[in-house]
Amino acid sequence: MPDNNPPAADVSRRSFLLTSAVMASGAAALAASLAPLRHLGDYVTPEQFLQKYYKELTPAEMQKVLDRITREVEKQYQVRPDVRDYKPMNGVEFVYCLNLTRCIGCRKCVHACVGENNQSRNPEIQYIRVLKMPHGSMDTEKGDHNYAPASVPEKGFFYMPIQCQQCKNPPCVKVCPVKATWQETDGITVIDYNWCIGCRYCEAACPYFARRFNWTRPSIPKERLNPTMSYLGNRPRPQGVMEKCHFCTQRTRQGKYPACLEVCPAGARKFGNVLDPDSEVAYILRTKRVFIQLKEELGTSPRFFYYFDV
Amino acid sequence: MDSIGKTWWVLTGLSVAFLGLCGAFVATSGVAVAHGPAIPLVDTNFISTATARMSAADLIRTGGDISGMECYACHDKKNPPKLKLNAEGDVIVPKEHEDIVMGHGRHHRNNNCFNCHDESNLEALQTRDGRHLKISESPALCGSCHGPTYRDWEAGVHGRTSGYWKRDAGPIDRKVCTSCHNPHSPPFPPRAPAPGPHLLHPNLAKNHTPANPEHH
Repeated sequence: MPDNNPPAADVSRRSFLLTSAVMASGAAALAASLAPLRHLGDYVTPEQFLQKYYKELTPAEMQKVLDRITREVEKQYQVRPDVRDYKPMNGVEFVYCLNLTRCIGCRKCVHACVGENNQSRNPEIQYIRVLKMPHGSMDTEKGDHNYAPASVPEKGFFYMPIQCQQCKNPPCVKVCPVKATWQETDGITVIDYNWCIGCRYCEAACPYFARRFNWTRPSIPKERLNPTMSYLGNRPRPQGVMEKCHFCTQRTRQGKYPACLEVCPAGARKFGNVLDPDSEVAYILRTKRVFIQLKEELGTSPRFFYYFDV
Repeated sequence: MDSIGKTWWVLTGLSVAFLGLCGAFVATSGVAVAHGPAIPLVDTNFISTATARMSAADLIRTGGDISGMECYACHDKKNPPKLKLNAEGDVIVPKEHEDIVMGHGRHHRNNNCFNCHDESNLEALQTRDGRHLKISESPALCGSCHGPTYRDWEAGVHGRTSGYWKRDAGPIDRKVCTSCHNPHSPPFPPRAPAPGPHLLHPNLAKNHTPANPEHH
C-alpha cells in the first residue's frame, strides 16, 4: 500500500529512536565484552611475540632482549634485576651426587631453591620434592611427600630428594614440538620461556616428574625476588610455560655451587665438573661403592647420582 | 508476528545479552584469580645457610663469646683436674660442665675427657699418638680416629662446602667437623622439617593414602 504510506512515514520517530538506542547499547556492550583484550599486553607484547629463536639471536639482539626483560621485571616488581645470558663453560660437564645416608629430609633444599630461582609462592611451584621412604627399599611408590613430624629424621626411614636429573638422553627434549627446551654442552637441559607454548608434552614425557607448569601468573613477593637472573634460568616466568631445575645456571655458570647444596645442613649434596678428576663428584663416582641412577632401566642416563656411604 | 517484530526481538535479545556480559566483565575486572587458601611464606630460617652449630674456630673467627674456652679462669695450670668415674667406668661430668652431654661412640668407649683434651694444657687438644693441637684444629684430631671420614672430608666429600666449585673462580669454604657435630655427642641432631608441599588442589591430599599411615 505505497499510496497510503509515504516513504517518510516508513520510519516513525518512535521506531528510529528505539532502533538507535538498541543499536548503540548493543555496540557499547560488544566493545565492553571485548575489553579483556586490552590486557593482552600483560601476557604477550609485540616485542615478545616477534622475538627470534634463542639460538638465532645475535649478541646485540640478545642484549636487547635482556634489556627488555630488565624493564619488564622492574615494572612488575620495582626491583632492578641483573639479567644475563650465562653460557656454558668449555670442558665442563655438571654432575650432581646426593648422599642418601646423610640426607635427613629437612626440606631446606626445597625452599632455598624456591628463593634462588624465583618460583611462584602461590600457587606453589617447587623443583625439588623429598620422598620419605622405608628402609630396605628403593621403590619410590612407597615414598611419601607429605610427611610432617615434629623432627626429622624418623627412625626406620630414609629421605630421597628428587629434582631434574639432567639426563644425557632427555625424553623431555625429544617431545618438545617447538624446540623450546634443549640440552646445553655442560649437560644442563634448559627452557626458553619465550619460546615455550605450554603444551606440557615434556611434563608427560619426564619419568621423574621434574617439570612444572605455570597454571597462573607466578606470584612472588618483591622482597623475596632474587635479582641475579639468567635468561635460561631464574628470570620470572610468564603464565602458561614450563619450568624446572636448571642446576642454578645463574650460579653454577659463574663457578658457584647451586643453592640447594649451599643450604644442605647435612652436607649430603655434592656438585661439580665430572670432567675434572680432582672434583668432589669425580672422587665420589671413583671411590664410593654404591650409587644408583634413578630409573636407570629407562635409558635416560641421568647426571644425578644417588650414593650411600658407611 | 511480522518480520519487523521478529527483528526487534532478536536485536533486543542480543543487546540484553551483550549488556549482561558487559556488566559481568565490569564486575569481575580487577578481581584476582582465586588461588585457594593463602600459603604462608616460608620461615627464613629454612633458607639460611648457617651451619648446625658454631665450632670453636668459627667463634674465634667471628669474635663470638669464647669465655667457655678460657679454662684457666677456673682451673689451676699446675694442678690438672682429676676425672671421677662411676661404677660402669663412665666419667662423671662435674656440675660446672653440666651442659656437656657425653655421647661419643655407641659403646661408651670414648668416655674419657683426656682422650681428646690435653690434661697438661686444657685449652688445647691431644691425639692418641701424642700430637698437640689447637682447639680450632678439630679435623686433625677427629681424623686421628675417623680415618675414612677424614679422607672423604679432605676430598671435599664429607661435610659441608660452600662457595665456588670452580677453584680459580673464587674461594671454597670448607666447614670443619665441629661446625656440624657436637664433639661430646657427635650424631647429627634431629631438627624440625620445613613445610611440605601445598597442592594446587587440596582435596587431592585428603584422598591421598600415605605410604606409612601410622605417621599421620
